[in-house]
Parts: sequence; structure tokens; C-alpha cells
Amino acid sequence: MSARSNVDFSRIALLEAIRSQENTWDVLAPRYGVTNPNPPWKTSLTAMCDCLDVSGALPTLDRRRAEDELAEAVYSDVPAPESQLLALAHTMLNRGLVSEGELASHMRIVRSRLEAV
Amino acid sequence: MNKAQDYSTDGAEHHHPAAPMVEEITDFEVLEIAVRELAIERGLFTAEDHRRFTEFAESVGPAGGSRLVAKIWTDPAFKARAMENPVKACLEIGIDWSKPTGFGTPSDYTHLTILEDTPTLHHVVCCTLCSCYPRPLLGMSPEWYRTTNYRRRLVRWPRQILAEFGLILPPEVEVRVEDSNQKCRFIVLPVRPAGTENWTEKQLAEIVTRDCMIGVALPRPGRTTDVHPIQKARRPVHSSSAQCERHSHERSLQ
Repeated sequence: MSARSNVDFSRIALLEAIRSQENTWDVLAPRYGVTNPNPPWKTSLTAMCDCLDVSGALPTLDRRRAEDELAEAVYSDVPAPESQLLALAHTMLNRGLVSEGELASHMRIVRSRLEAV
Repeated sequence: MNKAQDYSTDGAEHHHPAAPMVEEITDFEVLEIAVRELAIERGLFTAEDHRRFTEFAESVGPAGGSRLVAKIWTDPAFKARAMENPVKACLEIGIDWSKPTGFGTPSDYTHLTILEDTPTLHHVVCCTLCSCYPRPLLGMSPEWYRTTNYRRRLVRWPRQILAEFGLILPPEVEVRVEDSNQKCRFIVLPVRPAGTENWTEKQLAEIVTRDCMIGVALPRPGRTTDVHPIQKARRPVHSSSAQCERHSHERSLQ
């Protein structure tokens, strides 16, 4: 198997708050009668991972190692693809590609945009 | 006429019932957008890059692999070319491994091998490191392919894992596991099943499902999807346990 990724397993408050809401796709989809097995953002997540790989910012092998380890150690109770998304954000925060403060702030901006009427 | 019928062709009423949607914005959705936009702001990639890779991800599926296998089964000259240079042969069926960047995706390329099964040899593919997968031919990998359960156990106990997929092979069939990596991808060329003589390529392609090309299922007439209605077993047995016992027995004989 692969070498360790050096990912920091410390819990990240912002991601813990998201995880704790328990509104993963496997819960939401049946509630709304939706049969698509994946949430609409899954393909976008896949593309983002490809882009990070292409740019060299986060090579696939590093990302997948970290994802495996985080999925076992930190996000073991979260289903895919939400666990993949949390692991990606966790890894990017660890690597300083984004900061927790700016991510929280930008999430507020994105939410207000999506909720705008 | 059914109320749901589409009248749009004559410009009249349009009565499609709306497909159900998840009508709430989750923090997961917001997180995905926020991370992506910050990455774009940082200059890690562009929105156009992201659009291109999204288009790629949504355009690939297992149909290309099915066509490749069906053509190999029916065209000996193509088979020779495909076994010699699989990536080049893929161009003949409309699959270009260099998309979307001109050199593929860094995580997809650069060497493809076609693993030919025989009546006494069965191949199955995994990626013990992560989840490398021949996406241009098979589309996005299934979630189970990414799990450590599959990746760790397949290389140790392939018959046990295959049995968990309902594929129980006789002992005289050798099982060979191929481990993908960032630069080497594999696709299984199953044995053409009996009862498909005189079938067209299109008919054959329909029975070559994704799982057949990973190696966790075998093609057979009438089986055109990896998802089936569950049928009650006539003689219920825990097949993987039976395989474990057989495996242990085989090992004890070695």
C-alpha cells in the first residue's frame, strides 16, 4: 500500500459544523423522491480534483492518499461523495491553499448568492 | 392521450411533470462552490479549465469500452491492432485518450493494456494505491472501486472478492489481478460468450457492461446491465464463505 500522506488529522471546526448537519445526499435524495445516485455537485468536484492535479497544486496521488486516511480517521461516518469533498477541503486547508477564515467567509457569500431572489 | 405527453413539437401545451429535485441548499453544495471559487481566485486553475474537465467527466462512460470489446470480438484485424497499440486503436472507435488537454488528464494517461481472458485465465483490475481507472473507456469509477475494502482485499483474496460480486470461478481458472497506477491502465477483454454467434457489434456491445471490463462479472446473452432485479436464490448459500473455504483448502494443498 501507499506511503502516508502527512495529513493533519486534527478536526477542523468549519468542516465539523458542515458534517454535523447530516444532510448528505443519501438522506436528502429519498426525502425528495430523487433517484439520481449522486448530488449535482459531484461532477464539479471530480473536475476540480482534475484541475488541481493538472495545475500541480494538489497531485492526484497525494489527494487520494489523504482522502483514504481522512476517510478512515476523521470522516468515517460520512458517506461518499460528501466524505471526498470534506477530505479535499481538509487537505487544501492543511496545505494552506485556502484558510479556514476565508473559506467560511466565502461560503457565506456563496450561500447568499444561491438564496438570492 | 396521457397528460404527461409532450406536445411541444407543435408548439402547443407542454405537460411534462417536473422531475423531483432536492429543494434545499446544503452546506456541502456551498462548500464545493466556495472551495472551487477560492482555488480559481488563487490562480490554481481557471473557470474555463473547470468547465472543460466537467464536460469531459460528463461525456465519458462505459459505452466506449463496450464498443472496443465488441469490435475486437468481431474483427480479427482490429484485434491485432488493438492488442499492439490499444490507445491508437481506440481512435478507430472514437475514443481519444488525449482529451481534454491534448495529453489526457494527468491522472488518466499514458499506457493502456488490454487483458485478454481465456477459458482458463480470468483478469480483474484494481488500483491498490488510489483509484486509477481507464476513464476514457469506462467513464467514472464506481464508488466500490475506490474503497480500501476492494483495493486491499482483491490483491490478497481475489476469489473471495469475486464471489462477493456473485462471480464464482472454477478452480481450474487462474485469476490474475492487475494493479493500475497513474501511468498504466487496464481493461479486461472477456471471453466472447457462447450463444452470441452471428451477433452484430451493437448486440455484443450491449452485453459488455462496465463490470465485465473491470473483471467482476462475465458477459452473457440477456445480461445488458450491471443492475438487476433481485431474484430469490433457489439454494441460498453464502458464496464468499464457500470461496473462503475453497481458498483455504487450496492453500493448504500448496
